[in-house]
Amino acid sequence: MKGFNIVLTGVGGQGILLAAEILGTAALKEGLNVRVSEIHGMAQRGGAVVSNVRIGENVLAPTFLDGKADILLGFEPLETLRSLNFASEKTIIIMSDERITPTELTAKKMEYPSLKEITNKICSFTKNIIIVEAAKLAKEAGNILTENVVLIGALAATKKIPVKDESILEALKELVPTKHLGTNIKAFKLGYEYAQKYKLKH
Amino acid sequence: MPDSRLLLQDAPNKRALLLGNEAIARGILEAGISVVTTYPGTPASEIADSISEIAAEAGVYMEYSINEMVAVEVAAATANCGVRSLSAMKHVGLNVAADALMTLAYMGVKGGCVIVTADDPECYSSQNEQDNRFYALLANLPCLEPSNAQEAKDMTVSAVEISEKLELPVLLRTTTRVSHTRGPVTYGKLTKPSLKGEFVRDIKRMNLVPANSRPMHTVLLTKAEKAKEISETSPYNTIVRRSKSGKLGVISASAAFNYAMEAIDALDLDASILKLGMTHPLPEKLIGTFLRKHKKIVVVEELEPYLEMQIKAIAKDYAPNVKIYGKMGTLYFPRDGELSTRAVVIGLAKITRRKLPIDLKEIDRKYAEVLKDLPRRPPILCAGCPHRATFYVIRKATDGKAVYPNDIGCYALGFAPPLSIGDGFLCMGSSVSMAQGISKVTGRDTIGIIGDSTFFHAAIPGLINAVYNNHKITLAVLDNQATAMTGHQPHPGTGVTGMGVPTEKVLIEKVAEGCGVKFVRVVDPFKVKEATAVLKEALQHSGPSVVVFRSPCALMVVRDRRRKGAKIMVCKITEECTNCMACIKLLGCPALVLVDGKASINETLCIGCGLCASVCPYQAIKCEEIG
Ligand code: SF4
Ligand code: SF4
Repeated sequence: MKGFNIVLTGVGGQGILLAAEILGTAALKEGLNVRVSEIHGMAQRGGAVVSNVRIGENVLAPTFLDGKADILLGFEPLETLRSLNFASEKTIIIMSDERITPTELTAKKMEYPSLKEITNKICSFTKNIIIVEAAKLAKEAGNILTENVVLIGALAATKKIPVKDESILEALKELVPTKHLGTNIKAFKLGYEYAQKYKLKH
Repeated sequence: MPDSRLLLQDAPNKRALLLGNEAIARGILEAGISVVTTYPGTPASEIADSISEIAAEAGVYMEYSINEMVAVEVAAATANCGVRSLSAMKHVGLNVAADALMTLAYMGVKGGCVIVTADDPECYSSQNEQDNRFYALLANLPCLEPSNAQEAKDMTVSAVEISEKLELPVLLRTTTRVSHTRGPVTYGKLTKPSLKGEFVRDIKRMNLVPANSRPMHTVLLTKAEKAKEISETSPYNTIVRRSKSGKLGVISASAAFNYAMEAIDALDLDASILKLGMTHPLPEKLIGTFLRKHKKIVVVEELEPYLEMQIKAIAKDYAPNVKIYGKMGTLYFPRDGELSTRAVVIGLAKITRRKLPIDLKEIDRKYAEVLKDLPRRPPILCAGCPHRATFYVIRKATDGKAVYPNDIGCYALGFAPPLSIGDGFLCMGSSVSMAQGISKVTGRDTIGIIGDSTFFHAAIPGLINAVYNNHKITLAVLDNQATAMTGHQPHPGTGVTGMGVPTEKVLIEKVAEGCGVKFVRVVDPFKVKEATAVLKEALQHSGPSVVVFRSPCALMVVRDRRRKGAKIMVCKITEECTNCMACIKLLGCPALVLVDGKASINETLCIGCGLCASVCPYQAIKCEEIG
């Protein structure tokens, strides 16, 4: 079970699969072996989406064992909680603060829990949390749809992933339509700078 | 994959990160497969979708057939003219095609013919988890099972070759985790497809009246014997690791093989591993010898004990004393749901009496804490989905008192509150026929709900049945101008083919009229008042009636507007809002949320369909263009 494990989690429509593909493509560019699992169909209709990206020579399975995530990239706070089974005290969690209310909550006339409640729960697993104002930064970059790339920028800034920044940028170039490349690179940089300011516990 | 054209690169040895399905598409190009047919279904869709984008350039003919049986029949026919073909579908799709497939096995083929069945353990997007390897057993057809993207590509090529060698169609069975996992794929050479075939009349083989079927069954069995020889020496059936002690042997295939490998390493077991890639017919001698060399055998496979059953039968002849563990008798691995490294670790640890490599109990305990009170987030209709408007209309027109048999597609999600329209479904097209049974014995108003693509796929015979037997049902056709659930593929009602060529638009209302339905109307579901009145009228009609609710899928609307750089509508709640919550209570649109106790609209999600505005009793919701 060696290899580097990333779990990406959020809500259908947030660009999670593209983010996973960017990371996988970057790894391939460095000649590394990689597996990127995706779930399509029903899961994309505003439902919860989880993708695993695994990098390393011995990596075979599309998903990995509980507690074995090196990085948890949370696109949505509640969904970050739902993927905590993959986390341990060693896991770094990079989480967007963008909240998408599940209709179940609205139907029960309940409001979304506060970020504080959410981070408290996360802390029972790991104290390495970077909360990124991804929606704000994406808007700043020029397109709200670039939240996924903001988070990738933040991930790159931690310097934990066994892939160089340049490879990620190259993958971006390959996978994002030329028209949007500028905003995406900007989003990457904004996420990067944002996370650099954080001091990690490990 | 941003651009399927990359699949066309004539660059042997290039490495690309492909989805299992894209790898099959690449395999199609490397194998020189010239005809590709499909009916879209998750997890199979991207195979043909990738080809669709490049078909003309590649010299391949592709089509979205109206259902899987038609898809297999077209592929079988072209293969019988010597042209290599492939037909792709999801597991339940093969049920639709089964009638053709079972006899196609007798008829055989001339050019290679591959039938892809993409199974869905865990039902990520399906109504069941059936294990389609049994179709190979049932039909006596060779079956290949890739475990990753590279094999998915390679086996597509091999499947065609085996098919031609045996003159038999070959099943290529994937599962969600193979179809939808990206992995590195090394390209091989492209082969130029050829669409030129020749039909040679061969009545004895192809006209399967009983007198011909009987000898063709014998021919099939002879071919199956030859398939066994191929399996015996297939490079896909190999021992990938040998144990030092020779005590423990593991046999596995497809996605399960990956979990098995990682679980064996996680537990640090000394085990031999036999990986099976051709899983029908099984390499009896290879397996028999493997059994003989070990004391304990563990079979790791997903879903049914398909391998285990056969391996136990082989053991009777080769190694009657070997112990075989799996999921028959004692259930060491789950027989339902998806397999995982976790499930295999737990099963293997039990069998070998090892300690778990990680404290799963502790993780489970902490995780259960987190899950407590965590709201669920099941898939729902998108913000601005026209189906929501239709369901609202149906609810209004019937006051929720009718019965609503549903069907397969996005609209299957309409059963969820607050709309709560949809009382269950069986398979493609079942809404029409189930409605008839229900209305017959209950005498209640019955509205069958079906999508446009599903209508063409399987509703027409059912509709004719309703006319012929004068069943008093209403069929609501939710026409959003695409096969939305699986990725917006075209269908006969869209006026464009899989090759992107404009074609005759088959109008649902004309088909319904042609079937003999006397009451047929087309409405716009967002014109709530009008649509409600029409539906009420339809329910009054004495025989079968059809109402087509026509409005394009919200995702397509947004995408098109973005592409054109056009303005996007959003709606806002103004001061006139009395917080009566009608919008929230009635619609369940994900863009309508509670903020500080007040109804409000999430601007990023809203697409300004205006449905909530028309529902608000105080006209407090206003829509405008932005961007
Ligand atoms: S207009 Fe209303 S119903 Fe339509 S998408 Fe926006 S919030 Fe939802
Ligand atoms: S994909 Fe289209 S049809 Fe399906 S739920 Fe979303 S808007 Fe509705």
